[in-house]
Amino acid sequence: MEIIGYLLDALTPLNLMLALIGVILGTVIGALPGLSATMAVAVLVPFTFAMDPAAGLIALGAIYTGAIYGGAYAAILVNTPGTPSAIATTFDGFPMARRGDGGLAISLATIASVVGGIVGAVALLVLAPPLAKVALAFGPTEYFWLAMFGLTLIAALSVGNTVKGLIGACIGLFLSMIGVAVVGGDVRYTMGMQRFLAGIDLTSAIIGLYCVPVILDLVANADPHLKPSDTGGLRFAEGLRYSLSRKLNVIRSSVIGTVIGILPGAGGSIAGLVSYSEARRSSGNPESFGKGNPDGVIATEAANNATVGGGFIPTLVLGIPGTPPDAIILGALLVQGIKIGPTLFTTDANIVYTFIWGLLVATILMLPVGLLIGRYAYSSITKVPKAVLAPTVALLTIIGAFAIHSNVDDAQLMVGLGILAWILNRYGFQPSPIVLGLVLGSIAEQGFVQTYLIGSASGRLTEMFFMRPISIGIIGAALLTLIFPIWSDWKAKRRNQILQVSEPMADGGTEITPEPKTRDVPGMVLAVIFIALGIAIYFGASTLSALGSVFPITIAAALVGFSALLIVMNLRRPAGGPSETLHLDGGAKRRMALGAIMLAWVLLMPEIGFLVTSIIAFVAIMVIADYDRPPARTWAIWIASGVLICVGFWWLMANVLLLRMPAGVLF
Amino acid sequence: MRTALATIFAGLLASTPLAAQSVEDFPSQPMTYIIPFNAGGESDISARFQQSEWENVTGHQVIIQYQPGAGGAQAWSQLNSLPGDGYTIMGINLPHTALQPLEGSVGYATEDLTPVHYFHYTPDAIFVRAQSEFTSLEQLVEFAKENPGLVTFAGSGSNSSNNLAAIRFNEQAGVTTTYVPFSGTGPSITAVLGGSTMAGFNYATSGVSQGDAMRMLAVASEERLEAFPDVPTFKELGYDIVGGAYRGVAVPASTSEELRQRISDIVSEINAQPAFVEKMESAGFVLTDIGYDEMDEFVAERVEEYTAGAKALGIIQ
Repeated sequence: MEIIGYLLDALTPLNLMLALIGVILGTVIGALPGLSATMAVAVLVPFTFAMDPAAGLIALGAIYTGAIYGGAYAAILVNTPGTPSAIATTFDGFPMARRGDGGLAISLATIASVVGGIVGAVALLVLAPPLAKVALAFGPTEYFWLAMFGLTLIAALSVGNTVKGLIGACIGLFLSMIGVAVVGGDVRYTMGMQRFLAGIDLTSAIIGLYCVPVILDLVANADPHLKPSDTGGLRFAEGLRYSLSRKLNVIRSSVIGTVIGILPGAGGSIAGLVSYSEARRSSGNPESFGKGNPDGVIATEAANNATVGGGFIPTLVLGIPGTPPDAIILGALLVQGIKIGPTLFTTDANIVYTFIWGLLVATILMLPVGLLIGRYAYSSITKVPKAVLAPTVALLTIIGAFAIHSNVDDAQLMVGLGILAWILNRYGFQPSPIVLGLVLGSIAEQGFVQTYLIGSASGRLTEMFFMRPISIGIIGAALLTLIFPIWSDWKAKRRNQILQVSEPMADGGTEITPEPKTRDVPGMVLAVIFIALGIAIYFGASTLSALGSVFPITIAAALVGFSALLIVMNLRRPAGGPSETLHLDGGAKRRMALGAIMLAWVLLMPEIGFLVTSIIAFVAIMVIADYDRPPARTWAIWIASGVLICVGFWWLMANVLLLRMPAGVLF
Repeated sequence: MRTALATIFAGLLASTPLAAQSVEDFPSQPMTYIIPFNAGGESDISARFQQSEWENVTGHQVIIQYQPGAGGAQAWSQLNSLPGDGYTIMGINLPHTALQPLEGSVGYATEDLTPVHYFHYTPDAIFVRAQSEFTSLEQLVEFAKENPGLVTFAGSGSNSSNNLAAIRFNEQAGVTTTYVPFSGTGPSITAVLGGSTMAGFNYATSGVSQGDAMRMLAVASEERLEAFPDVPTFKELGYDIVGGAYRGVAVPASTSEELRQRISDIVSEINAQPAFVEKMESAGFVLTDIGYDEMDEFVAERVEEYTAGAKALGIIQ
């Protein structure tokens, strides 16, 4: 009953106001790719020093949960996860938005996020000390298998195109190895370049891989970015009815999110991927996932917001932060003189429980706040003319990639990877397997090498890898995920053979292109390049320490193997078919011009300065993206708004987020 | 009127040595303090402790930013490209900045960096979880002698202070143990608490945050720690192991001598604040007061020590 008493402490006007402001701020920051919860929380920590500890914590917690939710907007509306937690939201959220169901997708994301957040916070409120044991039950072996489980999702995501999916995963895994290795300490595959030392930054890679292709396609034709919805608005009532009919999915995903949130280092992206995979597996209609199935959005968003409450469990009970924002909040608590650890829930019960109630209140506030911001975001994305939308999104990608480390290198990498991703996607290599490899690579590698070291020390290597009870459970789930799509694929083929009906072709750039039945020459050329890359990786590993070279050698072998398989499969197919000649139509020219401008933008930014390059590039992209040839007055308004947008973001970054902006010759 | 003008003129004259004056008034605006690691580690927490005293001491706030990557090398390799006006400072660590340049091309050399003050260190320590059969270091050493390689130590990273200490422990105790690197203090403590490894080579600070859940068997400090009066030092037990991770504040190389000294003095002054001392010591940090004037000597000594360690690690021949 005491616990209930603290609810009143959380409901003081000050705490309510902090929760509300925190959620609004968090949602906006989360919606902008690259501006992360970590950044917002880090900037605001000093202000909480002067506050009552519980009030300060409520503000920080509200920003955190708001940001995880806000990530869904960018995922749904521009196919770019606003935070890595929303990676799986893009799979179905963006296809929904393209066909005119963007409002519904936002409503579903909001409802799922609120429910997921509540489940996580309630777990934190009533079960924190016993649940913290989950964090300890997960050893290196379990992390390794969890990463493997995540990778099996590739099989499901690339049905009918599995080999290309696997090659993409190998490339992602390779990208994750670049930089200084945690295990072994080797400097790997940096080609002697300073910028690769810290590895490929996940957030800037995600922005590049997902968002740049969208912008390139955006300017290539005059069609609207999203199909306008027939009914308009967010269709909240419809979303609520749908969510209620999917109770099981919502609850299952929230529980998965809470449990994975408890695991330090796993985080919202893995929680989203695992619950997405589970939703797909248990669905009666798995083929529709990845093509705009609302259940995919529900699963991911319920799970990633549940990780917020879940992540606080090890942070508060064990003093082991689950995620970077948790770590900053942990530091803020220590500065306030609060001792973290098992006794926290008794010695400082008033602070802890007031905070948890506050987090719960903030989560519930997400519903009205989210619906308001969501309505505005959706209608502006659909109404803004393409000539303004394209440069704005391009600006956001560059800001996002730059802001992570105040480093232009990240923005350059982002644009480079993005253009590469567009080309690969064109020939059937999807970005998602690459991203999965990149997200899961370091977890898989560390888990593998640590298990190997511990297993070899005790001479029980097989037992370590395969006999631990939790591991067996994860391996089982992974096998199910892996085999299920292959089996249903086979069943579908059988049915088709009987019916003599050819498979329907999927449409749209973001969906899975079925493998052509004739020889895929560009695919084969790329496969040869990948074989060369694999050989280079293999030889690059020869100078590394034993610990640091195990993983690269395995990946190199897999990359060469899958690429060779792709070539062999194609050689068995008949040559010819509609041969593809490279003709430069207007769309292709616009795409190339845009790619060139974005490259020039990030390359010249450190020389000339952020603001000047941004304004010039903004106007140039406007010209490329314009199909309407409007009167000069409209142009003047567009350019003025472009300048305003650039200056506004520059001011925000330099003076609010206190980033070190590239100055250059001008400004 | 004339006197007023004269006063202003005199005032202007007095302020002519602009550099000297600006150092005295330094800082006149908030400073930025870059932590080359993720939030939540020892570097971040000690900087946050400093941050809460910063305004009392200097009259201005300090803003903490994180620039993690490559075990700190990402930020250190960019330190000298930052403006040397004193308003941007960066956390700096040993043995990291001594060992990393030995491992390969990391974009900086140890002597490129300009530390102005090392304000504390966290001694290495051996931990076991509460349920462990080992209650003293002696038992652990005996077990390790009977079962070569079987004892596993979780620690933070490869080629780190923890790793050096584990190697040195093997030498000094004449045992063979297995060091398992994790991606930071948090994950390695999780491995110890969860029983994934038999023991851990971590920093003494973890003993405070974990309370009764973990047992510290020995600590690599010169004297017993305030927070752990019952835990023996390695020295007492006959092993010559003293060390840990030192943390300080560095400035870009273009920073003037006066500013370097001034920032060193600010850090020193924070180190003397009773509230700061209380927080740091009860959290298991050991305060040091190595200012700018003693810096060269201190770094040279450490580098010599770590170079020997790097040979043992096999980083250099």
